[in-house]
Amino acid sequence: MTATSDGGQLRPGLWHTVNERYPGSMITKSDTVPLARLRRPLAESRLSFVSTAGVQPTGTLPFDVVHPVGDYSFRRVPSGAAPADLEIHQLKYPTDGAHRDLNVIFPIERLQELAREGVVGGLTDNFFSFIGYNMDPDLLERTLAEELAQAVADEQADLALLSPA
Amino acid sequence: MSVTVARDVTERVKPPRAVFVPFRMGHHFGVPFHSKGQRLVITAALDLISGATHSGQILDLPMRWAELRREGVDIERRTAG
Repeated sequence: MTATSDGGQLRPGLWHTVNERYPGSMITKSDTVPLARLRRPLAESRLSFVSTAGVQPTGTLPFDVVHPVGDYSFRRVPSGAAPADLEIHQLKYPTDGAHRDLNVIFPIERLQELAREGVVGGLTDNFFSFIGYNMDPDLLERTLAEELAQAVADEQADLALLSPA
Repeated sequence: MSVTVARDVTERVKPPRAVFVPFRMGHHFGVPFHSKGQRLVITAALDLISGATHSGQILDLPMRWAELRREGVDIERRTAG
């Protein structure tokens, strides 16, 4: 077992807490992947955003938040969308802040600002979202993770910001 | 590049780069209407893209939830006024 630290997190021991409730659902990797470097300066790079917040355009098929083993699909979220055009379908994290200001978990307006100001070269046409309630990590890697990685690559992203909710 | 509020989970998943913020779940970029704080988390993550020294690095951001929350309340009061 790898020793880990909570480092001041507000909800300590989260990995063990979830793994006790849903045995086998939590991922542990034995090693890291090689560190990739940017191919061009940040100000010329196209940024994508991937979130498990369950954010999706209003009116699209809602995530199945009550399926016993989870929902292994993802949604495209236009990077130019306004928060008012988006909604959240997810039950497993506190959404009180997000319902007042979506940027606390899906910072679409902050990312749009960084692109307008030239801090990053641009945004992929779409961002991506799925739900974190997926109880089969092997199925997650074989399906959702592979399909999502390909979708991000297809948008010609140079880098991606990931945010588990 | 990941932004995490669960350092123990991130240490096990081992993304290439991560920034840790001691915030509530569902509030990885801070509190409502605190644009400056939300932006700070993102730019710290972007800085680590080129600044990371090794894969698996987790950068602890020197931000405090209680302080950010107080600032957020002040921002809302000013905006409402």
